[in-house]
Amino acid sequence: MLRSREICMAAATVLLATGPSMGQEVRLFSFEGYAEPQWVEPFEAETGCKVSVAYTGSVDEMFARMVGSDGADFDLISIDTSIIQRYLDNGLIIPFDMSMVPNTANLLPSFSAVSEVMSGGETYGVSMAWGSLGLIYDKEAFPDGVDSWEALWDPANAGRVLALDDANNNVTNAAIILGLDDPFNLDDADFDAVKNKLIEQKQYLISYYAGFEEGVNIWDSSEANLMFSMGEFQAVELADRGYDVVYSIPKEGGIGWLDTWALSKGVQDVDCAHKWVNHYLNGHTGPTMTELKGYGNTTDESPGLDYSDKLVWLRPVENFDRRVQVWNEVKAAQ
Amino acid sequence: MTVGAGRSRPGIGDYLLWSVIALFIIVPLGCFLAYGFFSVVDNAIVYRPTVGNFAELLSNPSYRATFLRTIRMAFEVSAINLVLGYATAYFIWLRPPGMRNFLVIALAIPLLMSYIIKIYAMRGVLGTNGLLNSALMALGIVDEPVSALLFNLTAVRITLSVVLLPFMVLPIYIALERIPASVLHAASDLGANELQTFTGIILPLSLPGGIVGAMFTFVLASGDFLAPELVGGIEGFTYGRLIFSQFGLAFNWPLGAALSILLMCVALGVIFVARRLGNPRWQR
Repeated sequence: MLRSREICMAAATVLLATGPSMGQEVRLFSFEGYAEPQWVEPFEAETGCKVSVAYTGSVDEMFARMVGSDGADFDLISIDTSIIQRYLDNGLIIPFDMSMVPNTANLLPSFSAVSEVMSGGETYGVSMAWGSLGLIYDKEAFPDGVDSWEALWDPANAGRVLALDDANNNVTNAAIILGLDDPFNLDDADFDAVKNKLIEQKQYLISYYAGFEEGVNIWDSSEANLMFSMGEFQAVELADRGYDVVYSIPKEGGIGWLDTWALSKGVQDVDCAHKWVNHYLNGHTGPTMTELKGYGNTTDESPGLDYSDKLVWLRPVENFDRRVQVWNEVKAAQ
Repeated sequence: MTVGAGRSRPGIGDYLLWSVIALFIIVPLGCFLAYGFFSVVDNAIVYRPTVGNFAELLSNPSYRATFLRTIRMAFEVSAINLVLGYATAYFIWLRPPGMRNFLVIALAIPLLMSYIIKIYAMRGVLGTNGLLNSALMALGIVDEPVSALLFNLTAVRITLSVVLLPFMVLPIYIALERIPASVLHAASDLGANELQTFTGIILPLSLPGGIVGAMFTFVLASGDFLAPELVGGIEGFTYGRLIFSQFGLAFNWPLGAALSILLMCVALGVIFVARRLGNPRWQR
């Protein structure tokens, strides 16, 4: 009896000890739609690197988890260009070895020299997807279309509106709707205006949601027909579930984002991580993602995404913590 | 091993057990308490003691309002469950023994299932296209789906009441089971009618179980953050979610710890009161 137990213990120890080195792996922490079987499977077959993905519900959650684990849990993260500096300031990301990502030659000119991804001559982010945080509406409920964000503040639509649970994007979008000069650089009066605007909206909301899938699920189990969306992918998902929805950027404008792969400080398999980024720019992955998930890609034209001139591209903000604080107060307000 | 024999001289087993207790209970609890007195500057935790978190907690009206709203909600869930749970436990207790065991097991099975699945199931039940609305429409009670069942505090109350019900029924049932049959026989021999037996004997002897159940449901409901998030909609920003947001979103662990300490004090207070109330006369 004792013998068999000892053997089991020894086996477990050996398994634990050899586990991490047994297979090569890249651990992604990203938004939904960036690691689909259509390009994960060819990657695994080509490189022998396994892909594991954890999805995040919001920009805030991603940052908190990265700070909390000092980056140890993930190899690559999908972060937008505006927040790279915040990760850099906290020492959470390290530069890529660009000689291991030769496919950057495939980047379209507008994505090949993005200044926000560079610091001290090193590259900290590789542009891989872009899109917007648009407004989704149900065509049947709004046959004439919806051309203003104010529809989400319209008493006529009370109980039919969803909004995402994300501090920075809500504050920025409210600032855009209010027509403030610089939505990324708010003063005290601006913050008050934004906070009041967001609190005013609460009476018309069904719920906040965190994560693409969660937003779609709530739409499914409620009477929602208007949504402050996390991105194009949600319209694709809703259409898959049989909803006749339109994804649009209203006249006030909307948030545009450019997501990059960034290398976590706690990266374990540096080789696989670089291979994944390289795979993303091979000229097939990007267009496939655009076709299936609706995001713009960075290596080819992105059919259907014709509103880039209406977008206000995310930039670093005056004080991220203050935005989180304001957002918490909005959520706690009665 | 000398675990049992070490009453006068602690053996190696005692040291091992003490180290387990220290490592897994006392040290983490100490860390948690200590974090409540730290602070965060520029996304880095400053390990210098301060009472700033508690000052902020007491002075910020939105924290206070969230706290009071949550405590009230948890109290309501406990009250609803006390009534529902007592009726259920009493019903089970009156069944024949075989049926009784079956019902108790059936009631306990949901406790083995994932919490999050139960909440999602409740969303399926309460939604506008959900089971409850379909049933109400099929029965002709309402003409169109009622949207007031989901994404508000009512939905949180219903969901928590359903999910936490076993925690109420089981202690009450155990208390009922422990009432000696001889006491009930004596009551009927002495000519007590059913109502007298119930109010004079059964209720006082089983109420301690109800108090234990109310304590469980109150403590679990006041700290919960998943049900409020998933079915609570805009109204569902409860104290548990406030704590979660400090850890999961804002990276302010010290403030989160301070908020948790307050909740823990309330929970300990409730447990203390429940112990006082729940100690039946015949056990003293």
